[in-house]
Amino acid sequence: MKTQILLIIAMIVVLSACGGPPANNPLLDTARSEFEIAQKDSSIAVFAPVALKEAEEELMRSTSLWEAKADKVLVEHHAYLAKQKTAIAKETANLNVAQMQIERAEPERQQVLINIRRADAERAEARAIAALEEAQRERSEAERARQRAEELTQRVNELEAERTERGLVLTLGDVLFDFDQAGLKTGAMRTVENLSDFMKEYPERKIMIEGFTDSIGSDWYNEELSRKRADSVRKALVDRGVAGNRIQIVGYGKRFSVASNQTEAGRQQNRRVEVIISDVNGNIPERRI
Amino acid sequence: METAKVTLIITVLAFLTACGSTNPPTQKLTETQMVINQAEQIGAGDYAPLEIREARRKLDEARRAYDRKDYKVAAMLAEKARVDAELAQMKTLSGKSQKAVHELREGIRLLKEEIQQRENRN
Repeated sequence: MKTQILLIIAMIVVLSACGGPPANNPLLDTARSEFEIAQKDSSIAVFAPVALKEAEEELMRSTSLWEAKADKVLVEHHAYLAKQKTAIAKETANLNVAQMQIERAEPERQQVLINIRRADAERAEARAIAALEEAQRERSEAERARQRAEELTQRVNELEAERTERGLVLTLGDVLFDFDQAGLKTGAMRTVENLSDFMKEYPERKIMIEGFTDSIGSDWYNEELSRKRADSVRKALVDRGVAGNRIQIVGYGKRFSVASNQTEAGRQQNRRVEVIISDVNGNIPERRI
Repeated sequence: METAKVTLIITVLAFLTACGSTNPPTQKLTETQMVINQAEQIGAGDYAPLEIREARRKLDEARRAYDRKDYKVAAMLAEKARVDAELAQMKTLSGKSQKAVHELREGIRLLKEEIQQRENRN
């Protein structure tokens, strides 16, 4: 009998300690609705099934405590745990999705890098081929230039031109002109022919025709005569098709003698026309006075 | 008589398990502290500042309850603090991974753009 009374007291204690009104619990409701949203999220179901299950167990614990009218504090404690575990499930899914994306992106990145390297290799090959072609082109150009130089030497030899510090200089002697006249003798024609051939063959070259006399006679007369003789050569070349703008003439008279005017032999040497051939750029150095 | 005694014992046990143990939750406090430490080590301060702060606050409260021998409250607070810290950990890991995904994608995008530009130049 005494024990029975004790039993009844104990039951009352249990009921009063853990019991409560079966009213709705907002915290539990929130936890439940958040869990239901997570449950519908397929990525959470796929990527965080264990965490979702743990959240569900916590929610069930809270719900059954609430149904058993257990202490509100205890119901809400488990509701809070359920809510946080739902959030953990969500983050776990995010983490797993991200890691899967990393695993997928890595091969893609590798492929892109391979593409870049291949493109680089192709470009390098193209550059190498271009460089090789350029080298071959340069070599054949150099070869052509050398051939032209050889030809030029050949032509210069034919012209009987002299290499001086001003460049190639061709001298037409007095014997090629009529005495005291500007006109060219027929004997000069071979030289003029060679010169006009040379001019046609090397269109980048220009010439300066300089006339000179001996010291006999007035300066004015000598300069005029020397200029006219230079001009005769110019005309002869123009007649053979050489553009006039490639030819400059000047009459120096008795200046720049190359031999003594005291002897007839010297004077004959001084009566002359010199043709100075320009470099490839058309430049002729000035005569140094 | 005997049956009644057994029923009493069962009832008392049921009471004890239903309303929580009154043993000091020393183990729970230690474990929660460890989870918080781990979360902080991986950078929860940057990725989940609110959660980690909440975990620390609840653990402090749990310790105060423990000190005044309110073990039931201490245990519940420690449990709450622990899920907060676990959430902070997961949020941090997930945040870092998502950042890595973003950087990786951005890297790929830039690489592709570079290829496109090089092709356009050629």
